[in-house]
Amino acid sequence: MSHPTYLNTTRRGFLGGTAAASALALGDRAQAQDAPPLEEYTPEYLSAAEWAFVMAATARIIPSDGAGPGAIETRVPVFIDLQLAGDFGNAADLYMEGPFKPDAPDTLGPQSPLTPAEIYRGAIERIDAACTDEYGNVFADLDPTQQDEVLSALEEGPSTSGNTPDMAEDAGGGAPNTDGSTAFGLTPELKEFFSLLVQNTKEGYFADPMYGGNADMAAWSYIGFPGARGSYAEWVGREEDYPLGPVSISGERA
Amino acid sequence: MKTFLRILGALVIVGVVALLVFIFWPVSRSAPTQVAANAPEPAEHGEYAMRLADCAACHTAEGGEPFAGGRPIESPVGTIYSANITPDPETGIGGWTLAEFRGALIDGLDEEGHHLYPAMPYTNYRGLTETDIAGLYHYFIEDLEPVRNEVPANDLPFPFDQRWGLRAWKWVAMPDVGFASGATSDDPIERGAYLVEGPGHCGACHSPRNTLFVQDGYTASDAGFLTGGVIAGWTAPALRGEDSAIAGWTAEEVAQILGTGRNAHAAINGEMALVVEDSTQYLTADDLMAVSQYLVGLDGNGANRGQEQGTPSGGLAERLLDDPATQTERILASADPGMPEGARLYLDNCGACHFVDGKGADEVFPELDGSSIVQAGEPTGLISMILHGGALPSTEARPYALRMPGFADRLSDDEVATLASFLRTAWNNEASGTVEAGAVADMRSEEGG
Repeated sequence: MSHPTYLNTTRRGFLGGTAAASALALGDRAQAQDAPPLEEYTPEYLSAAEWAFVMAATARIIPSDGAGPGAIETRVPVFIDLQLAGDFGNAADLYMEGPFKPDAPDTLGPQSPLTPAEIYRGAIERIDAACTDEYGNVFADLDPTQQDEVLSALEEGPSTSGNTPDMAEDAGGGAPNTDGSTAFGLTPELKEFFSLLVQNTKEGYFADPMYGGNADMAAWSYIGFPGARGSYAEWVGREEDYPLGPVSISGERA
Repeated sequence: MKTFLRILGALVIVGVVALLVFIFWPVSRSAPTQVAANAPEPAEHGEYAMRLADCAACHTAEGGEPFAGGRPIESPVGTIYSANITPDPETGIGGWTLAEFRGALIDGLDEEGHHLYPAMPYTNYRGLTETDIAGLYHYFIEDLEPVRNEVPANDLPFPFDQRWGLRAWKWVAMPDVGFASGATSDDPIERGAYLVEGPGHCGACHSPRNTLFVQDGYTASDAGFLTGGVIAGWTAPALRGEDSAIAGWTAEEVAQILGTGRNAHAAINGEMALVVEDSTQYLTADDLMAVSQYLVGLDGNGANRGQEQGTPSGGLAERLLDDPATQTERILASADPGMPEGARLYLDNCGACHFVDGKGADEVFPELDGSSIVQAGEPTGLISMILHGGALPSTEARPYALRMPGFADRLSDDEVATLASFLRTAWNNEASGTVEAGAVADMRSEEGG
C-alpha cells in the first residue's frame, strides 16, 4: 500500500539508465486482447470527472513525449480504475478496524480510515474544487504547466506522506507534520493521495498486462525487460541487447 | 439322419457337461511353500510386508479410509473397484483364514472360491514367501481396525462380468507358485529380484501385456519383463533394454528416486507417485539398494551407458560456461527471434526451470533431455504434464511436494502440440511422430495429476 518509501525513486530517472532500445514488434497474440480504445473505456469505479482527472494526472506523471511510451499509451488509467474497483481499492488486505489517527506522523504508517478508493474519490473532488478556485477550471482542463504546478504542490505539501527531507529527523518521535492542513484542502485522511497516485501509476506502467496497464508490454519493451519468461541465464553478464521481446504471464509476446 | 441327430445330441450333451464342469468344478488353492528358517514373526513383519506389496495404492480410494477399497481401476474391458481389505466381517475380509487369504494373493480366489479379476496382481504375488504372506495376513486381520465400506459393483459388460471365465485365463497367465531363488538371500541381486518380481509387482505396470491382458514375463529371464507398459494411456517406462528409462543411472540414483521421489535425472509423477508415497519410501536401505542393484544389472542399464550419452556436468554456472553441446541448446541459447516456434515456446514457458540444455536442476527440476515421459510411445503423459502440471510425491526424506504448474491457461492446443513435438526430438531425444492438436484438446478437460 501507500508507503512513503515507495516514493524514493524519482519517476523517470531510473528509466533512462536502463533503457534498452527494444523494438516494439507486436506478435500476433499481443493484439488478441481486443481492448476498446481508451476514449471508449467505461470505468468500473471512477466517475467521469474522476476518470478525467486520472487520465490527466497520469499523463503528467509519465508523459507521452519522452523517449518511451507514456501512461496513456500503456493504459495506466485502466489499471488504476480496475485496482480501485477491486480488492486494492476496497482495502481488502488492510487492517481497517482502527484506532485511526490520521494526523499521526508518517512514520506510523497509513492511518486513514478511508479505503484507497475512497481516498481517490475524496481527494480528486477537493483538488478539482481548489483548481476551480485558483485557475477557474478543474484539473483535467488545466494546461500542462498548471497541472505540473498542482502536482508539485501536492508532492511537496507538508503532509503528503513522503520523502520530505525532514522525515528522517522525525523518525525519533518528533511530531511536526500533524497540523492537519495540507495543500488543496486535503484533510489528513486524504494525505496519502499523491503517493498512492504515483505508486499506482508506476504499477500500472510496469505490471503484467493482465491487470489492464502496460498495454502490449510497451513499458517492458522500452526498458528491455523480458517479462515472465524468466529464461535468459545465458545472457547474464553479456554486453549486448537481449534479442527477444517480452512475454506476459498469459503467454502473449511483444 | 437319425444317427446324425444322435451324434449331434451326444456332442451337445458332452459340450454342455464340459462347460458345466468348467464352470462348477471346484477350484483348488495352491499348497503352502516352505517357510524360511530365519523368518521374522508375522506381528513384527506385517506392516513392512504391506509396504513391500504396496497394497495401499489400489485398496485405498482417493480421500477414503486406508485399505477400505473402492478405488476405481480402469481396465480395457471396464471399471473394477478395489476390495475392502480391512477385517470388517461383512464388507471386508474379516473372518478369512490364512489359507483363504493366501488363495487370494497367489491363486486369485476369494474366500468362497470365486475368481478375482487380475487387476489384483496375483500373478506377480505368486512368488511371495510364506513369511510375507503370513505377515500380510497378520497385518490385515490383526493390526488393522475394521472399516465398514461397501465398495461399488464392478462396471463390466457381458461376458467380462462372468468370473468363471477367468479359469481359462489363469491357465494361460499363471506362472508357477513360489519364488525360485532365495528371497531372504544375503545376495542383494537375489533379494532385489524377489522384491521386484514378487511383492513389488513392478512388472504389472512396467511390462507389456498381450491382447488377453497377460503380462509378458514375470522374471528377468523373460525377454519382455519390465520392457515398459501402458496404463490408462500413460506409459510406464521400460526399465531395461534399448528404451530403458534408467539407462546410465547408478544404483544409488535408482535408490534415491525410489526413496525420495527425485534424483539428478528425473522426478516421479503420475501413478508412480503413489508407489513412492505408499511403498518404496518405506523400504529399508538394504532392500532399496537390493532393488536398485537388481534393476541396474538388467540389460541396457548400468553406469557405462550413461557415459556414452554424456552425463550432465555439475552446477548451473559450470554448465553455462560449457560450449553449447547440441544444436537444440545452441538454438535456445541464441534467443534468436527467428527460431522455430516449438523452441520459442520452450524458451517462453519452460526454459526458466528446465534450462536451455534440458537438464533442469538436480532433485528439483527433472531432465527433459532423455526423459522417459517426454519420449514415451504415448504422448499422453507429456501432454498432461504440460496442460495440468504435476506434483512430486511427498516422502519422509523429502516432504515438500514440489509442483510444476499447468500451462492450460497459457497455451492453446496448437501451441501445446508444437511444444510437445519439439520436446520429443530436442537435445538427444528421439521419439517418433508429431503430437497433434486434437490429442491435446481431448486431454484439456481432464484433471491433472
